[in-house]
Amino acid sequence: MSAYFIPVFFLIILIFSLIKKVKPYDAFTNGAKSAVPFVVSIFPYLISIFVLTELFEMSGLSDFFSDLLAPVFNILGIPKELTKLVLIKPFSGSGALAILSEIFTKYGVDSYLARCACVIYGSSETVFYIAAVYFAGAKTKKLLTPIVISLVASFASCVFACFICLIL
Amino acid sequence: MNIIFGLAVTVSVGILICTNPDGVLSAMLSGGEKALNLTLKMVVIYAVWLGIFELLDKTGLSDKIAKLFKPVNRFLFGSIPEKAGDFISMNLSANLLGMSGATTPMGIKSIQELEKYPGTEYAITMFFVINATSVQLIPSSVLALRTSMGSASPADIILPTILATLLSTVIGVLLVKIFVKGKK
Repeated sequence: MSAYFIPVFFLIILIFSLIKKVKPYDAFTNGAKSAVPFVVSIFPYLISIFVLTELFEMSGLSDFFSDLLAPVFNILGIPKELTKLVLIKPFSGSGALAILSEIFTKYGVDSYLARCACVIYGSSETVFYIAAVYFAGAKTKKLLTPIVISLVASFASCVFACFICLIL
Repeated sequence: MNIIFGLAVTVSVGILICTNPDGVLSAMLSGGEKALNLTLKMVVIYAVWLGIFELLDKTGLSDKIAKLFKPVNRFLFGSIPEKAGDFISMNLSANLLGMSGATTPMGIKSIQELEKYPGTEYAITMFFVINATSVQLIPSSVLALRTSMGSASPADIILPTILATLLSTVIGVLLVKIFVKGKK
């Protein structure tokens, strides 16, 4: 089903452009042209976030925090094996995906822990990464409120994920 | 961001100086390398999507999508400028359909457009929170990974994921409505 979606969507746009006599080649090229300056403007923010994540991981701070927070998370119903995933996801999608496959091989793909990890991975976002990129060209520097709200909401859904995987 | 970055980097570097001084620069460079790899992938994805979006815009289809989203936008963001509404609508539809390559360029454009007008802090915060709590309906990357690792029923996690992601977005929207003041 979903395999057809993007091609069909694209086909509709192309048919429309022919009906409306829009020059499809000119329009597509013009849009594509803006991608390079766009990505260049994001790059410095991206590199800062990646440097931060890498240092955080290598210094052992991320392990320290996951050990520190594991008992707290446990009270809320998040298994201690998943603490690191919950902590990494806001910073790095690829880091979280690596932890996810580690959990798969360690505990089995269909185990409670693995299913739980999938739901946590799928229902949360890389909050800091999105903040860095979305506000890359923005003048506003007041990011604290939006980031805190997003983290609280994501955390609530992690707790919910561990609960719902018990019954579903 | 300055506070988070400053604190986390200072403490990390401080620890590394004591434990592994050679690791500092190599960690920073490897972070940079990952950022560059991602950027190279993004140029291609964004070029294709921005090309498609330009077509959408020129054919007037984007106005139609925006019309569909008008009631939703009004409820979430209050009164917003029309052009920003167009970008936001496209970002939201790309989010819902899991076109992850398309969400970011439209997201950045939405925020830049909103910023041109005074009194849009509320709308910007709301828009960011919705994006950062993920509204994706089909977790395709997780499904692919589960299938490749031989899961008996990879689709098991779709329903719980949809419920959890809906919950996070609802909580996010409510928190913004309660705690962020500004023009609605």
